[in-house]
Amino acid sequence: MSSKKLVSPIRIVKRDVQNKWLLAALYGGGILLAFLLGAVLLSLLKVNPFEYYGDMFTIGMIGNRYFTKSLENWIIIFVPLVITSLALSMAFKMKFWNIGGKGQFIIGSIVASAIALTMKPNTSPFVLIALMTICGGLSAGIYGMITAILKVRFGTNETLLTLMFNYIALNLLFYFGETQGAWNIFLSKESVRPLLAKFPENAWMTTIKLGDFNLNVSLILALVFAAFMWFYLAKTKQGYEISVVGDSISTAKYAGMKVNKIIVRTMFLSAMFIGIAGAFNVSTSHTLTSSMAYGDEGWTGIVVVWLAKLNPFAVVIISILLSWLRYGCVVAASSYTTVNSYFADMLQGIILFIVLAVDFFIKYKVVFTKRENAVKEKN
Amino acid sequence: MKKGLVILLTLALIVGCLAAFTACSGEDYDLVVGAIYIGGKDETSGYTAAHANGIKKAIANLEKEGYKVKLEVVDKVDDTDYNAVAAACDTLVAKGSDIIFGISFGYLHAMNDKAAEYKDVLFSHATGYLSNDTNYNNYFGRIYQARYLSGIAAGLKSIELESDSIGYVAAWTTEYAETTSGINAFALGVQSVNPDATVYVKSIKSWGDTAKEQQAAQYLIDTYNCTVIAQHCDSAQPQIVAQENDVYGCGYNTDMTSDAPKAHLTAPIWNWHVYYQFAMEEALKDPATFVDAVGNYLGGLKEGFVDISPLSENCAPNTAKMIELARKEMVDGNWDVFHSAKLSFEAIQGEIAIKITPADLGTLYTPDPEKEDADPNPYVCKVEDDQVTKTPDYVITGTMNTFVAGVTDVDKM
Repeated sequence: MSSKKLVSPIRIVKRDVQNKWLLAALYGGGILLAFLLGAVLLSLLKVNPFEYYGDMFTIGMIGNRYFTKSLENWIIIFVPLVITSLALSMAFKMKFWNIGGKGQFIIGSIVASAIALTMKPNTSPFVLIALMTICGGLSAGIYGMITAILKVRFGTNETLLTLMFNYIALNLLFYFGETQGAWNIFLSKESVRPLLAKFPENAWMTTIKLGDFNLNVSLILALVFAAFMWFYLAKTKQGYEISVVGDSISTAKYAGMKVNKIIVRTMFLSAMFIGIAGAFNVSTSHTLTSSMAYGDEGWTGIVVVWLAKLNPFAVVIISILLSWLRYGCVVAASSYTTVNSYFADMLQGIILFIVLAVDFFIKYKVVFTKRENAVKEKN
Repeated sequence: MKKGLVILLTLALIVGCLAAFTACSGEDYDLVVGAIYIGGKDETSGYTAAHANGIKKAIANLEKEGYKVKLEVVDKVDDTDYNAVAAACDTLVAKGSDIIFGISFGYLHAMNDKAAEYKDVLFSHATGYLSNDTNYNNYFGRIYQARYLSGIAAGLKSIELESDSIGYVAAWTTEYAETTSGINAFALGVQSVNPDATVYVKSIKSWGDTAKEQQAAQYLIDTYNCTVIAQHCDSAQPQIVAQENDVYGCGYNTDMTSDAPKAHLTAPIWNWHVYYQFAMEEALKDPATFVDAVGNYLGGLKEGFVDISPLSENCAPNTAKMIELARKEMVDGNWDVFHSAKLSFEAIQGEIAIKITPADLGTLYTPDPEKEDADPNPYVCKVEDDQVTKTPDYVITGTMNTFVAGVTDVDKM
């Protein structure tokens, strides 16, 4: 009797659901369930869920004198998220866990801002924005590459290291944002209090006027980038190398690939594109902002990539949905005294949680083992 | 089981919707007020709450007059995030706002740009310095006037306690004109009744940090035997520390007597609703004349925009009378804190009387050699040809950076 081991009554067993319609129905049902839960919460706060969701799904465009503005503001949130997510998917495909998206984004932003604030004001906008993008991208790429080099040289843990590198970038940003002095090019010269300076007009992201709507050029670039990323990962030799290294480093070595080189190169590219997203973002904002330290492109990007299962097209779709949800929630919340912007975060959290749970239960099933069976199995 | 859950949730949803269907949509409002807050809209104390309560009170007053006013709020907007502020303005305009208030300093650029973009909407920004001629103004208050009055209460208490040491927990010192002018005004108030007193200032280098506020107050009491602790920081910690050490104090922002009933004397406070109601009334009257009528608003005691909280029982005798006399001089416009004249009190036939004596306050602004673009000329407040001079407003709103005599920064000793 003393040797009798306890067998867990619950076991998790892998399963394989192939039916695409069933999958779609399950994910759709999960999202619906999340919104139902949100509706119950809204009702408890004495808010009409139909009105709230109506405002949210239309991001306040209905009955709005300036409805194109809503679209423009959504694009401002969407572009950095989609570029960051695509860039992260590159590293993740190689099973290099780049948690440092936020830091790389900030470094790219800081360097792009430095260019914007120091170049001559008569530089042509095209040259200046291109320069901001290139320098922002390169600096972030090098910043990310350091972690990759440390990994291949000394076997450091890239998850920890990229995470720590976030804090270096973050504090650098706070330092520039709060330290007054003649040397600090980032601060406004007019303000008595520390205030991050506004860029000269030639550093503002180009927009194309379509009637009332100002199409942000970075949106087009982001979508081109998505197509490029698909091509790069699926159709090029380098993309193939990434997936082999991701599957098995030994296989890659056996096949004669220079694994270290591939890891460093891929991480450089991943961080570089995130830095470019940062450069686009400051150029669109017309200023560096220290609140980007709390921004979550780097974190939400990880969730996007996870949900998209590394598929570039799915990354685009999920980025659209998540940024739409985020912006819509803020817009809807403004009309209600009982709903603050935390509610947006909460609703988003509920949706992500349920979708991830659905994802889990699609991949695995839980089996309840009866006690007698357990004993029998043991015998 | 799953089915049951879904049915239950659906039912809950339907019931909830029915319950929530009260008359609220499709109404016409006389005024839609937009507000951008740095904190959460449901906070109960602190800076955002002070503004939120002011806006709510102003709206309630207007509704009593028969106006229909709707409030739209975007909250937790970081004041260093240009995009977030710009998007908040867009959202509030989209919701039909006629006037948009932004409460945090860093909103100034985004609001300036949005005011240029949306010419049919009024923008009003607290604590900033930007404005335009048509639809953008800024507002702030002469809180230093209230600080002067609280200084009188502190000075009288120090005399009663036979002490010349008064402490002041400050967010910042000479970095900001807002803190410098507050400290100077408080010290001048103290000196009006106790000319020998020294105000020891300890800076916590943060607008609010409860632990540092507590430590600073304790340090002032332990090291300098301060008997009254005044403050320019967010929480009531300095007052609580004063009570623990059996000394007294003057709070800030709200009446802190409930936080430290045995220590608190009185606190300089803001009545934000005074401005909000004024601004909303002008917006209702005619948006085209709003900027002309309201201008860049700097309300003081006269407008009731700043004040001191009711004097507690801890105050020394005659405090109420003396404060009343000093307040009258400021409200009537005979005298202000940074004029080159000092107030003093004297007893004439048992009645307390106030006396205005011309006096130099000395240098109030010293150029900073590290700042290239700073004004190179120092500002000295002095009596000229026996005439009382007024310190220009820019010293109070932007550049005052030098302490008056009787103030000691303990970090620079």
